Amino acid sequence: MLAFDLLANGLIYGCFYALMAIGLAMIFGVLKIVNFAHGEFFMIGAYTYVLVALKLGVSPWLALPCAAVSGALLGWLVERLLMRPMYQGYASWGFMKDEYAVVVTFGLSLLLINLVDKIVGPYSFRGPPLIDVSRFALGPIMLTGQKAIAAVVSVLLMIGLALFIKRSVWGKQIQAVAQNRLGASLAGIDATRTTSLIFMISGMLAALSGALLAPLVNPSPDIGAFPAVKSYVIVVLGGMGSIWGAMLAALILGVSEAFFSVYISYDYRDAFGLIILVVVLLFRPQGLFGEKGREL
Amino acid sequence: MKPIHNLWQERLRFDMRAALVIIALIGLLPAVVYGPYALGIILVSVYFAILALGWNLLAGYTGQFSLAPAAFAMIGAYTTALLDHYWQVPLALGIPAAIVVTALFGLMLGKLVLNLSGPYLSLTTLAFAEIARVVIGNSHEFTRGDQGMHVATLTDNRLAYYYIFLFALVVVLACIYWLLKGKLGRFMMAVRDDPVGAESRGINVVRIKMIAFCISCSICGLAGSLYGTFSQLVSPELGLLQQTGLILSMVVIGGMGSLSGAILGGVLIYLGSEWLRGFGDIQMIVFALLVIVFARYIPGGLWGMVAARLQGRRS
Repeated sequence: MLAFDLLANGLIYGCFYALMAIGLAMIFGVLKIVNFAHGEFFMIGAYTYVLVALKLGVSPWLALPCAAVSGALLGWLVERLLMRPMYQGYASWGFMKDEYAVVVTFGLSLLLINLVDKIVGPYSFRGPPLIDVSRFALGPIMLTGQKAIAAVVSVLLMIGLALFIKRSVWGKQIQAVAQNRLGASLAGIDATRTTSLIFMISGMLAALSGALLAPLVNPSPDIGAFPAVKSYVIVVLGGMGSIWGAMLAALILGVSEAFFSVYISYDYRDAFGLIILVVVLLFRPQGLFGEKGREL
Repeated sequence: MKPIHNLWQERLRFDMRAALVIIALIGLLPAVVYGPYALGIILVSVYFAILALGWNLLAGYTGQFSLAPAAFAMIGAYTTALLDHYWQVPLALGIPAAIVVTALFGLMLGKLVLNLSGPYLSLTTLAFAEIARVVIGNSHEFTRGDQGMHVATLTDNRLAYYYIFLFALVVVLACIYWLLKGKLGRFMMAVRDDPVGAESRGINVVRIKMIAFCISCSICGLAGSLYGTFSQLVSPELGLLQQTGLILSMVVIGGMGSLSGAILGGVLIYLGSEWLRGFGDIQMIVFALLVIVFARYIPGGLWGMVAARLQGRRS
């Protein structure tokens, strides 16, 4: 019976991880870089949600779209100001793309953490729940109202995203640019605009993940670090740049983490991600769905 | 006219001389600085200069971006502390042990990721850094967790400690200079500039990356271990990502791929952060902004600007 409970809760956390990791995988897919400020998108989303709901007294259901907009806006800004020089060829380190990206996104992450710390304060907030139902049992599974609602919302978001990428013109443009940037632009796709769109979607998903989790984790300025580390593990496990791989790997990590923390060690549950990372890098460095990335 | 094949040697020698001048100036600082608190601040700035040199060897000269220099300093400090706590190992052995243990950790991490191209090193070291910090913080029985551990000290005299740190800085600098002067240094830069080309010329790229990574890690381990014995308290705070951010900003602002740039950046940024603390803890905001601006517009860093001017005058 405990196993069912763990499975369900692991899947729910997996959904939140997936929202984070998909954005990271999409960015890697088109630019072949890792966004080290991804955890701060999560943090900004959580803060927007909490502050809009608490300070403006708006219903949490309206604060949720606000968080999404703030994440998308931040993503758009990051792409416009920091990423665009990289592939338009006028960055000072244009010839060292990966290095420039690591330094700039890491710097951005520090900047956002410290700005929020300075402006809002280092204390953590308790986010208002979307629905006021405390613990209830669904068969053998113990849930809280917030968790159940957040899980439903994130599953809907993922289905929406999958449809968007598979069916819509924009989604097809994203796929094309990820496969071959030059080829896509030869076919008349505006690769720059598509990259911008990807950053907006990625920021929006991470911010929504933060907003949905805000009532459960109590946001503080450095709240983004662990979700980010977990999404790095997930994108490596799923295969860098693979969106479907990231979704599956997120669920795997969520469930196995839930079992690890109960059956093996609760204190070291965060170390479990590192074990997965090590195993994947040792035996299948390309991940579940990735292309082979071994050098030369 | 100087023969063209000496251009790199020439630049390196100039860089080294400048670095020695900077160190000499830092060595004179205690003459104008009063009080143990101020002495402590310039001492910590030397600690950061060592870390910046170590990270620069990897990032600036070999082009591999590790995000765990602070974590390796933490591991080095804990190695010395744990040896001291459990087996009363004297510091004369405990500090070299920190160098060996961090090099071994570097070897293990390097074996995992350095044969992969792309951002795997940054990703894995970041995950490693965060998780190592949390694991040490949670191991209440073994490492006393977040409370930190007490460590023996070399001497109670702060001034003596200052010169011990300065001596360590000179030794590290001399080792790096010697490395860069020889074949290995050239190989490292070949790996940074064009890994495929380097491999095709018969350079074992993975091996060179591994050597650079291990050396860089053990330099950080040495610095951390020394710092632990100075403060007599080792805590997981040493490995915070903010510290890594500080080191990264020192090298990027001071000048990537330059010895004097790293030292200058290390000292200036730390002193600047102490100064900015007075304006309400805005130091990390300022430095993070500066990192982005420098990476975007001034890739040579401060030292790049100074060196261009100095060398322009000489020729």
